[in-house]
Amino acid sequence: MKKNKTDITKRKWFQITPGVVSEILPLLCVSAVLVPVFAISLPWPDQTKKYLFSSAILETGAQNLVSSLYLGYRAFDTLGETVVLLTAVTGAIMIIKSSVHTNNSYTFSQQNVPSKTRMLRTELLDTVTGKLGPVVLLFGFYVMLFGHLSPGGGFQGGVVIASAIVFLSLGSKSDGALVLTKPGVLLWIEAASFGAFLIAACAGMITGNGFFTNPFPSGFPAHAYIIFLNCAVGLKVGAGVSFLCIEMIQNKE
Amino acid sequence: MIERCLIFLLFLTGFHAIIVRKNVIKKVFGLGIINSAVVILFILEGSRSGNSAPIIQPGVQDVVDPIPQALMLTAVVIGVCLTALALTLVYRLYTHSLSLHIDEIRRKIHDTTH
Amino acid sequence: MIILILALIITLSFYALQSRDLLHGTIALSAASLLSALLYYILHAPDVAITEAAVGAGVSTVVFVWVIRATKRKDDS
Repeated sequence: MKKNKTDITKRKWFQITPGVVSEILPLLCVSAVLVPVFAISLPWPDQTKKYLFSSAILETGAQNLVSSLYLGYRAFDTLGETVVLLTAVTGAIMIIKSSVHTNNSYTFSQQNVPSKTRMLRTELLDTVTGKLGPVVLLFGFYVMLFGHLSPGGGFQGGVVIASAIVFLSLGSKSDGALVLTKPGVLLWIEAASFGAFLIAACAGMITGNGFFTNPFPSGFPAHAYIIFLNCAVGLKVGAGVSFLCIEMIQNKE
Repeated sequence: MIERCLIFLLFLTGFHAIIVRKNVIKKVFGLGIINSAVVILFILEGSRSGNSAPIIQPGVQDVVDPIPQALMLTAVVIGVCLTALALTLVYRLYTHSLSLHIDEIRRKIHDTTH
Repeated sequence: MIILILALIITLSFYALQSRDLLHGTIALSAASLLSALLYYILHAPDVAITEAAVGAGVSTVVFVWVIRATKRKDDS
């Protein structure tokens, strides 16, 4: 049996040494690389903090400095992150759906058994999540829209909205008749908000300012652009993540 | 200083889980723990340079540096994307090999390809 | 205070990694995420705290519970 294992995987030399050594040695190597990161303490450079404190409101219109960073000065990172989220959701759904169709001999439940999620639903779950869902949705929209004034913003509001939509899909007695929990509607919301985000990013180029800059003339309140970007990012994140969760919950049927 | 030692211990815990644990879901636990450790380290180091949250309000003078927080927002969201995708791959491995043990999965892959 | 919360997070992570029942490990990881959110609030980072709380207690736990329901609940190794 042991000879089979070494033939199968063609192990390297550090995997043949038994037991404890093969567990301790990688940890020592990682420690040797990372201890300088954790042990050196240098004084924190202050210039960017002072610059942001003095001119973030004038240039981006946001009082929340973190919002002014990820939607103003480093908006390209936000674009990359929304693309990563889109890729992850698409890849996960594709892997889940293709495995259902290719494995006919291995099924998790028979065809005529009522859905497992229906059988496990109780009155407590129905009442609590069904009544709490709209409140959390409202809170998510509040967090999303006030991102430039208080802690909050696109991503934060987006994941709270995703939690609210999962609540609504778990708790509704009408078995998914709510519009927001249908997968088709969620996909449309995600695609439309990503498109709106891209249009807002390119709008600066049309008026001659540059990519991801404020397209409005200087008399307009500067935080309208940040509010629009927050809404687009929040709706995209919320719709994408909740679509993933709803497909996972309903896939068990 | 002792906080950094504890964060390093958390990182090593996650890394040890990825190497040593035979169950595939425990390996994904380890990925999430490593992500958590790095985010805590950045936020801890960023919080040493001030003493209030980075929101400009009248009367607030000494704010914390907002750059590590903006970077860690992205890191947290990408961490959850990583976890979701890794777990769908675990699900796919299970439907093919009916086991969550890494040695059996490896043996079944070898049996079907050789 | 920070040291206490960090020690609790490490304890919960250890428990999650060596528990025989994977669902117990998932709940421990969700509790560690909640404690991290509290830690971020104490360290003057409210945006990261909201994101970590919503992501750790919401989305991440839902995905883990789905996988555990679809595969096995016991750790056989």
